[in-house]
Parts: sequence; C-alpha cells; structure tokens
Amino acid sequence: MPAAGLKYIGKSIPIHDVREKATGALRYAGDLKLHGVLHAKLVLSEIAHGRVKHLDLEQALAVPGVVGIYTYRDAPDHPYNSHQWLEGMEVQKDELIFTDHVRFHGDRIAAVVAETREASERAARLVHVEYDELPAVIDPEAAGLLNATPIHASGNHIVHKRIACGDAESRMRDADLVIEDRIETPKVHHAAMETHGCIAEVDAQGTITVRTPCQVIFQVQLIVSQALGLPMDKVRVLKTTLGGSFGGKGQPILEPVAAFLALKVGKPVRLVLDRTETILSTRTRTKAIGRVRTGVDRKGRIVAREIHMLVDTGAYCTNGEVIPMAMGKKSFRLYQIQDQIFEADVVYTNTPVAGACRGYGSPQICAVTEINLDHAARALGMDPVEFRMRNLVHPYNADPAGGPSIGNARIRDCVTKGSDLFQWREKSARPKGGGRIARGIGMACCTHGNGYYGGFPDFITVDLRLTPDGAVVIKGAFHDLGCGTVMTMMQIAAEVLDLDPSSILIPDADTLVCPFDSAGTQASRVTYVCGGAVHQAAGELKRKLLESAATLLAEPISGLRLEQGYVIGSSGRASYQEIAQYAQRQLRSDLCVNLLYQSPGNPASYGAHFAEVEVDRITGRVRVLDYVAVHDVGQAINTGFVEGQIQGSVQMGLGMALMEELTFDARGRVTSSRFSRYTVPNAPEMPNVRVALIEEGEESGPFGAKSIGEIATVPVAPAIINAINDALGTRISVMPATPERIVAAIQDV
Amino acid sequence: MRLDFTLNGAVLSLDIDPGLRLIDLLRDVLDMTGTKEGCGEGECGACTIILDGVAVDSCMVMAMQVRGREVLTVEGLEQKGELDELQRAFIDSGAIQCGYCTPGMLMSAKALLMRTPEPTEHEIRSAMAGNLCRCTGYLKIIQAVQKASQMQSAHHA
Ligand code: FES
Ligand code: FES
Repeated sequence: MPAAGLKYIGKSIPIHDVREKATGALRYAGDLKLHGVLHAKLVLSEIAHGRVKHLDLEQALAVPGVVGIYTYRDAPDHPYNSHQWLEGMEVQKDELIFTDHVRFHGDRIAAVVAETREASERAARLVHVEYDELPAVIDPEAAGLLNATPIHASGNHIVHKRIACGDAESRMRDADLVIEDRIETPKVHHAAMETHGCIAEVDAQGTITVRTPCQVIFQVQLIVSQALGLPMDKVRVLKTTLGGSFGGKGQPILEPVAAFLALKVGKPVRLVLDRTETILSTRTRTKAIGRVRTGVDRKGRIVAREIHMLVDTGAYCTNGEVIPMAMGKKSFRLYQIQDQIFEADVVYTNTPVAGACRGYGSPQICAVTEINLDHAARALGMDPVEFRMRNLVHPYNADPAGGPSIGNARIRDCVTKGSDLFQWREKSARPKGGGRIARGIGMACCTHGNGYYGGFPDFITVDLRLTPDGAVVIKGAFHDLGCGTVMTMMQIAAEVLDLDPSSILIPDADTLVCPFDSAGTQASRVTYVCGGAVHQAAGELKRKLLESAATLLAEPISGLRLEQGYVIGSSGRASYQEIAQYAQRQLRSDLCVNLLYQSPGNPASYGAHFAEVEVDRITGRVRVLDYVAVHDVGQAINTGFVEGQIQGSVQMGLGMALMEELTFDARGRVTSSRFSRYTVPNAPEMPNVRVALIEEGEESGPFGAKSIGEIATVPVAPAIINAINDALGTRISVMPATPERIVAAIQDV
Repeated sequence: MRLDFTLNGAVLSLDIDPGLRLIDLLRDVLDMTGTKEGCGEGECGACTIILDGVAVDSCMVMAMQVRGREVLTVEGLEQKGELDELQRAFIDSGAIQCGYCTPGMLMSAKALLMRTPEPTEHEIRSAMAGNLCRCTGYLKIIQAVQKASQMQSAHHA
C-alpha cells in the first residue's frame, strides 16, 4: 500500500529485474560469455605466514591450454589499499596484486591463465610452492605483544583511536554499580550466494574494461588505476548484476588482478572464484574484542561508560583505521550518556582480511554494549526494557561527542511498539523452565547512520532526462545489490513526476556513462543521499516540464498539475511525450537536469529487536521461537523491500549469534573454508519475524526516508544472546554461542 | 561420449567429455546459465535442477548420469511465454532479492509441489533446507511457495 496521500511511496513493487531473475535469463558476471575469453585461476597461500622460497612452474606450464602464469615477480609494485574510495584519502597502502610474503591462508601468490577453466584449475594445482614458514599471529590479543612476529614492516599495531565526552573517569567513581564485560564477536564470511568474480579486457587503445559485481564503480576504477599505475581514464568499470554483497564486494579485490592479467595476455580474462577461495581470500567481518565498564546509579541511569575495542583487521589494513571510528560514534547516539570514553586499537593478524560487512562495525559495538547493558539491568534487578527506557535518547538530542544531529530519533517508539507486539511483559512473567528445556527472552536496541556526512565528503551527481517518447532516464552510479536500490530510485522519481515506474529507466552503473558519485552503495547512504538527489533532480525536471508545458498550453505554470504522464491545465492537457517533443522542436531545448547533491546531514536510524528462545540444557541447542523487529525508518519507500531487508538481516544476525565463525588450526590455516564446515542459517532454522515500522519522517530525507539495509543486522546477535542468558542465567560473552560454548557456560553458572 | 537425455521437454543427443558434471554441461556446453553454482559441494542448492521429478544438486551429478532421463531446469519453467505459478508467486511475494538463489529455490519448490501439491509450512521449510539464501531470510520464499500451492489448487478446482 502506498503511504497516505502518495501514489508510489510505500508501495511494495517487486525489484526492477525480477522477471529476468525468476526465469534465469539474467546474467551475472560468471554467466557472461565473452568472445575469446581466457580463464584465470589464483594460486593462493596454503600457510598463514611465511616467505615463498621457491616457485616451481614447470609442470603447470606444461598443461595443454595454459597461456601463461604470472606471479609476484611479474606484477607491478604499486601498493594500494582497496578500501580507498576517493583520490587523496590517507590510507595504509599495504596490498599488492601478488606477494611473496604471504600473510594469511589465502594470500595471492600467482595466477594461471588458460584457454579453459579445467586447464587453469589443473595447472594451478601443479604450481609447487615452497615456503619458509613464519610463526602465525592468530589471536588479536597477542598481536601487539613485543614478542609477536611482525606481519608488516610497520609492526602489528596499526592505530589507536579515541572519542570522549564529559569526564567518564571521575563520574565512574560516583556510580552505585559498575558492570564490566569482555565480549568477543567473530570473523564472519559474508556468504553472498554469488561467489566473487569479474572479467577484464583491453582494447586496441589500451583501455581496460572491467565487468564486475561491485558496490562502487569509481572506487574500482581508482584502485585498478593505482595498482597498475595507469591513468584513471584508461580504466572503465561496468557493474554487473550482483548476486548479493553485504559489503563483501565493496572493496575491489579481484578487479586489479584480472585487469593486470588481461593486460599481460591481451585477451579478455575471466576470474571467478569458488566458495573456498571466496571464504579465504576476499573479505570478512572484522573480529572485535570489546571491554566495557558501565557505571549506573540505583535509579537505573547510566552515569558513565568506558569502552575499549580491540579490532582485528586481518592480514591487510583495508578499512582498519576507519571502522573503529564507525563503531565508536554509535555509542554516543543511542543512550543519553554525557560522560563516556571510547577507545580502540587496531591490529594485524595472519587471518583473512577484514573489510566492510553489513553494519560496518555497528553489529560488533552493539553486541558488546547491549549484552553488557542486560548484565547491568540484571545487577540492578531491573527489567531490561525499563532500564533502557530510562536512558534512551529523545528526538533531536545533541550528540555529546559533537557528531551531526541525530534528527527525528524514534528509538523510544520502537521499544514501546516492539514490547507490545512481542508481549514482553507477559513473556517476562513466564517461568524459565527448570528442566532440560529453558526459555528466555532478550532484546537489544541499535543505531546506525545515513551516509558519510560528518566523516567524509558525501555527494552525488545525477542526470535526469525526459525523452521525446515520454520516458525518464536516470543516470547515476547506482548499484543494486539485490536490495531494490534501482526500484527505490524509480519510486521516488515516479512520485515526484507522477509517472509509472515502468516508464523510468536506470541503466547499470558504468564509469563512462554515469556522472560521478563520491561513495557508491555503502555506508547506508543510498536511500537517504542518492534518493535525496533523485528527489531533488526530479523536482527540477518537473519545473522544466511545467515551463515548457506552460508555453505549449499557453497557460500560467501556477494553474498546471501533473497527472499520470500528463500536464493538465484548465483548458487542455499535454502528454510528457508531446511536451518533450515540443521543447525540442519549438524551444530548441531538451528536458534534462544535471544535479550535484551534497548530503544535508547524517541523522541516525534506530531499531529494537526482541527474541524468545528455547535452549536445550544438555545439547546446548538454541531455537528462536519468536522474533519481533521494529525500525525507525522515517518513511518506507518500498515497504516490501524494507521487510525483506529486516528479515534477511535477522537471518544474518542469527548466524553471527549462534553458528557462523571462521575457525583456525594451530598454524593459522582456516578450518571452515567450505559451506560444509561453515554453517549459515537455512529455512528450518529461521524464526518467523514480525516486522513493524515507525514512520514519523526525517525532514532531510526523500519523503522522510532514512536507512534500513545495514541497521537491521545490528541488534540481532545481542538480542538473541540476551535471551539465552535470560534463559540460563549465564553470562555468554563469546559469539557465536555454539552448543559447546553454551554447555560450557551452563557449567560455569 | 554419447549422451541422450531430455532437457526441458526437448530430446538432446550430444557428444560430451565423460568427466563433465551436469552443472558444467548446462552452463558451459549448453550456455544455460540460469542454473547457478554457489559452492560446488552440494551444500547451497543454487544449482538445483529436477531429475525425473526429484530435486538434485547438479554440481553433484555427472552429466553421464542423466542418460535416458528427464532434466528440468529453471529455463523450462516458463511455458509458451507464461510464467509458472511458482515464478509468479515468487515475484508477487517479494521472494526475490539478488536472485542468485532463485533458480535453485524454484526448482526445489517445484519438485515439492509436484509430489505434495498442498504442503504444510513445515514441509516447505524441510524441502528448502538444502537451498541457502543470504538475502531474504526465507520467509517471503516460504510464503511464495504457499501462494503458488494455493494458486495451483484454485486452478485445478
Ligand atoms: S553449487 Fe551445487 S549445491 Fe552449491
Ligand atoms: S535472493 Fe539473494 S541469495 Fe536469495
């Protein structure tokens, strides 16, 4: 249903390419068949840390169909940082296309290029690598120690960050109770169903075209040009249909490699990873170990808090310097805490590389702080909902750390509505069950941002044009990851222009076609920032349309209105098609707009999740019986998409809470590098999720909208862990709460 | 080696490499890329097809094993330009986000409805247990299968 007074906003329209997806006709990168394409296969490190002593290519080169094998000896020596998205950003450039100092199980050493996939795979298996193995640093708490083996020349400690307000140290002394925790969140695989892959080709002028499922075409262009030492205009990037990303395809990983190989062989090169390669050698969620001290008074008010996050970025820095700040900022925007210190230390380990992952640090900080708050409520003998209600922010409260306005922050409404829907009060009165099966309830609150405003430049340019056949073409670097970005933009433009979304075309992102966008599909900026741009540009286009219509209909603009593809006046009407043609023929003009849109702010989005679980005390198995998720989204542009984001997020958070984790053997080799060893929740494990939305409007967002895609993942794990702790009286502090860990925690009680 | 089988209703006779997996025959040789590969080890269901009425992972079957048998892939669901009820229900229910799991999901659901036209929610969840989806949280997919089952019974009533 559309929102009140609106035609398209709020309506659940299917994703724009749904029919082609349902018939299997749509081609993802791995489905493309380019003429004369060659197949590449990576040679990845089998050890967690060491030097390549010797590389024997002889047998591999003898495989029929092999075109070439390229190694760290051939690759350019231009270090880069794949997380960099703007030229000139200060980043630790510590990655190379190939390396002989392998820093994790899965680091890239070389690649085979062959005429067939089979030949490339066979040859890659025949590349013999001899290593000088070095001690591997797996435990982030050991990474910074003096005797730890350095992973990079600069050492293992990357950076220390701090955000503070008030005087937490002295206020902590006034607290009636101080509740301390150490909480660990796991390294998690994104598990997009489409594995990573891309295709690169070089034309006669030496321009490289990369077709890739990515989140930021201009970032891919930048990184490929840096890694290869080429001017940016020599690199064209086309976004292909994404089979899911969740941040995993946010950083260019394979694109520089494929581009390098294509340059070497002068033919198109297809580089598509299998699942194991994707788990090992792409990106993971950042592992974090949080230590938190919360001081409360008897009335249940938080008087001071100190948080320290140890951030494990894996073998390369990527976003390691930015993610702690993203974590820290959130802890000042959810509860009214005037005296607080957030600190973080970021370290390298010899483990797969961390990067962006749905929520960008928020799920980690939320797990640490929300589990701790439940312990605080328990220590005070207070209901966790009641305790939170005493401390949550109100709309337009100032961010005590000096961040941008939190805007129309409706977390309190989320909690109230969620408690009612979930029947929190009734459920908390129920007995826990003293036998084998225990029952418990838990909840968690969360906040997340809307773009980069306040941290990094956040702007987008878009082109809108009304074509002489009455359609609207919107060019902008939009990347639909499967969340419905394109339809969201269409609905916004459709509402402003009163035009059916089927008459709006948004081509796939292409660096040659699309005007510049500063940051792509990341940072929960798409609906709020890019949607804001489309909203404003559509308004401009409407103005031009009305101006031309006024001349055509010989009526003042003030008397004209738009209706379903027509401009209606008092004496007559004209279709958009007629007006566009009239503008071209009689006014020598085209109905088009090029608009630069600078993000106006960074309001906070909010949500509250509630979980009821059943735990088997003997096996440690957990079943989620009921789940309620309430989100303050300002205004849903497409209600079905918003529900879909929330339900998918609950699944992802459930995995983080209960089962998903990259595990290692003593030498640091990954022992969970396949789906048979790395379990993600399937249909029988998924609880029913009841979703409710708070739609009170965010003034600066398009039609009042703000973000949802990332935030919905944020509170899931702590809500579930809190429910388990409620059921068992445990203090589970390491995620995932696997059956073994749960059984151990029961024994500790 | 010679391989004769039926694919989406058409009888095919091909000369193939006996080492080929069924998924490679479909995707690489026949360029029918609707069937996806997500793991290559029978764990994700992206490659699900229907073999003689049963949903199977085409990454776990050798092409030669389908000799003389009937294979149905996602490309065979649409009949004379008409989408299958399941495809329509997936579209209408918002069960498709990135779409990568969709062909496999559709084929598992199709095999279920072929043998159990009116499945319970529990039966749907079990039938889809081998198909991973990372986007939707499964709930709209389960609803879509329920809807398709209702559409079918209304149709046949
Ligand atoms: S690709 Fe066959 S089950 Fe995953
Ligand atoms: S829709 Fe993306 S994996 Fe299912």
